[in-house]
Amino acid sequence: MSLLGLPAPSLPVGSLVGDALEFIVSEQRSIDGTPIGGPSQLWGLTQTHLELSLSALLLATLLSVPIGLLLGHYRKGELVAIAASNVGRAVPSLALIALFVAFLGTGFLNVALALVLLAIPPILTGTYVGVAAVDREIVDAARGQGLTEFQIVRQVELPLALASIFGGLRTSAVNVVATATIAPLAGVLTLGDPIIATSVYGDAGRLGASIVVALLAVLTEVGFAQAQRAATPAGLRSHRRSLRRSPAPPILTSTTQPRSTR
Amino acid sequence: MSLAGLSTGASVIAQDGSGFFRDRASDAGSCVSKNGFCPDWIADNFGQYTGPLQEHAVLTVTAVVIGFVIAFALALIAEKRRWLVGPFTQLSGILYTIPTLAAFFLLLPITGRGFLTAEVALVAYTLLILFRGVRTGLDSVPPETVDAAKGVGLTDRQLMWQVKLPLALPQIIAALRVASSTTVGLATLAFFAGAGGLGGKIYADLTFKSNVVLASLLCVALAVAIEIVLVLVQRGLTPWTRAVNA
Amino acid sequence: MSPEPARPAGPSPIPSAAGGARAGARGLSRPAARLELRELTKQYPGEDGPAVDRLSLEVPAGEICVFVGPSGCGKTTAMRMINRMIDRDSGEILLDGRDVNDRDPSELRREIGYVIQQIGLFPHRTIEENIGTVPSLLGWKKADIAARTQELLDLVGLDPAFAKRYPAQLSGGQRQRVGVARALAADPPLLLMDEPFGAIDPITRDRLQNEFLRLQKTLGRTIVFVTHDIDEAIKMGDRIAVLRTGGRLAQYATPAELLLAPADDFVERFVGADRALKRLALGRVSDLDLLPVVKVHDGDPSDWVRSQLAGAPVPYPLVVDDDERPVSWLDADDLRADRVVGAEGSDVAIVDGDAVLRDAFSSVLQSRVRFAVVVDERGKSIGVLSADRIADELLPRDGEQQPDLAPVADGLPTPTLDYPDAAPPFDRGTK
Repeated sequence: MSLLGLPAPSLPVGSLVGDALEFIVSEQRSIDGTPIGGPSQLWGLTQTHLELSLSALLLATLLSVPIGLLLGHYRKGELVAIAASNVGRAVPSLALIALFVAFLGTGFLNVALALVLLAIPPILTGTYVGVAAVDREIVDAARGQGLTEFQIVRQVELPLALASIFGGLRTSAVNVVATATIAPLAGVLTLGDPIIATSVYGDAGRLGASIVVALLAVLTEVGFAQAQRAATPAGLRSHRRSLRRSPAPPILTSTTQPRSTR
Repeated sequence: MSLAGLSTGASVIAQDGSGFFRDRASDAGSCVSKNGFCPDWIADNFGQYTGPLQEHAVLTVTAVVIGFVIAFALALIAEKRRWLVGPFTQLSGILYTIPTLAAFFLLLPITGRGFLTAEVALVAYTLLILFRGVRTGLDSVPPETVDAAKGVGLTDRQLMWQVKLPLALPQIIAALRVASSTTVGLATLAFFAGAGGLGGKIYADLTFKSNVVLASLLCVALAVAIEIVLVLVQRGLTPWTRAVNA
Repeated sequence: MSPEPARPAGPSPIPSAAGGARAGARGLSRPAARLELRELTKQYPGEDGPAVDRLSLEVPAGEICVFVGPSGCGKTTAMRMINRMIDRDSGEILLDGRDVNDRDPSELRREIGYVIQQIGLFPHRTIEENIGTVPSLLGWKKADIAARTQELLDLVGLDPAFAKRYPAQLSGGQRQRVGVARALAADPPLLLMDEPFGAIDPITRDRLQNEFLRLQKTLGRTIVFVTHDIDEAIKMGDRIAVLRTGGRLAQYATPAELLLAPADDFVERFVGADRALKRLALGRVSDLDLLPVVKVHDGDPSDWVRSQLAGAPVPYPLVVDDDERPVSWLDADDLRADRVVGAEGSDVAIVDGDAVLRDAFSSVLQSRVRFAVVVDERGKSIGVLSADRIADELLPRDGEQQPDLAPVADGLPTPTLDYPDAAPPFDRGTK
């Protein structure tokens, strides 16, 4: 059934919300009698949702952080970092998933790869910016004390860039969790399934799943925000305020802006 | 391959009902029937995409314009009342976090389906980017410039409109660029809320490469076109940023 | 200095571009203001003591008053209360007898020139627009603003071509000149300057200080000048207010008084152990009587030169060129040849008549012959300064608070040789 041109909900608002909550807490019967909703089904969908998101994030991190550290350490490829986030931003996530489905087919792996592509730019940019922003004098002093290039990256630049890396990770995580909602289009049943397949779940199922997805996204955001705070070296935290007077970074279209694709 | 029946019989990947027709059977063995990338087909059927493209552009531009007006007002309010910056950022951050698709249906009980629902959600997403952009711009004005401006006798209003905002312009435009290309992406989901756009085309036949590629390219082209306009506006408005040492 | 700055309405004769530069000489349209601070006090919330504590002083119209003191002495706070950038807690600030609190802050500030260390030019506006900020706030006509900009650029020694450039295209020194021009644009009766030359390299700073003093001679504005540098205070100030930590006034005096009679230990320490030497910064070379010198030219016979030297206060002949500009000193060795060869002599320390004695003294000490040649603005030699003569200026004079730098006759060799610029007793062809 097409979603377009559906009439506005005829049920009163309160009743719809009530039905949605009912859908979350207890199993219902669909029109054709299939059991839908309830904690056990939603938990299953949530698990797939999280598995998909985490695998994509993990792979994206393993790819982006080393590259970002390398580019940032040598201060090369700023254009690459910026271009990655600009191009990434311009391709809608729906289009990205659709392109993967059209060219590679459906399935967990393909969707995960699409999400990896989505997750790379913020982490790459966050890492690059974090490392490149480390004061050159600090790096110079480290080199002067005899640290090797690898030691400089490992002991100086990485710790100082950690907050920025986690910032990118946070943006990616929120994007990936959001985009995983449309994974059912490619055959992976996440929490988006009740939202997309209305014919089975109905408006109550849709709203119920939307509530769960929104909660999941907010939890992801809050969790990564905490992680980012924890990752900020203690010596930098208290100075944050006084640093505000330092000159603004050069205006790069989007290196410091989050990318959002949902 | 077929998508039908992939999702425990729950998801129905629709190829019908959205005004999108493609007769596969009539053309057995052709590029189209193999779901390929077919320039001829694209040339013949381009007309089908102009309507959704237009809808998409209207959705995007409306959302960014309204979002900017709101974010700009909030940023100005927070100029005098600094303590509001935190709450405003957090609030717009929460709105930004909620997945678009979920947002559309969270609005279902309130605004139902249609253009309004899509716009409310899209506007909500632009707020964080735009609010932060305007604030970053205003906060990056050198303190000595502000001091000098006050010192030579500019009123608060003159300081804002004649000094701070012009100097914040590069950052504001940068935020507008991010917001508009982000919104182009999010607006692909607007058809779930019944507001049309290129997303409907993509969704209508996910396996047909010609369709997916064309619709995606149109999205990218729209995003790029809006960015180019914004870059040109910025170049026109900020001649001093290009002044080099003579 | 512009004939019409205060009256934007009505027909206003546009100052001619050529004559405009020296408009200062044509008389000021607005007289300089008299500034009076009475019991001025300010305490920042959360601080233990006041930043400025019952500060009272008076700045006569047309004088430069320097607020000087260590960091945290409240000098900048005190200055910023004058144009109400900071609100005072108590006390009065009277500008020509009228309390500044009776005025609208923005309107008040348009009448008070404001120069800060970081300059604070508007990066998005051209130099012309920057200088025209206050005039356009006051509603001047475009043509008047343009003419005024040209006049000011000339006044602060910048090429009129700078008008259309942006601040980013100027050097630090040039930007500070624009900062001064912007402050002077509407001919303010009072100027506030907060470490205006603090962020500039020493050489440029010195030049800007000298230029500014020269400018002030024509403009005669009332100026409050903040610095932490006692040397700058002594150089720039007609009066100096030394503030101590906690914002209390330690001494308010002329530079000479400050150096001769520091009010207490704090002032004495702040002024420095070398305060006697610092007095050298007060006098100018042109205030001293200079020694005459035997001037010779290339090709003069050595015998004649030797005869001229007999009994001269400066025992070396000075080779000058046809425009009387010094070329070199000659010593006995150089005179062995029959005729003078200027290129054989040793380098000459040259001192400007406007130079302060400190700089002149330094030049003299660096010169091999312990004399410096004083030149006028065209580079023509007008006399010679000796180390003795300068050291003499440093001797304390009983009961005298004002070193007026009159020559002290005793102990100085009286010039025995009256050496007029007479032609030598032979024809050199060129003169």
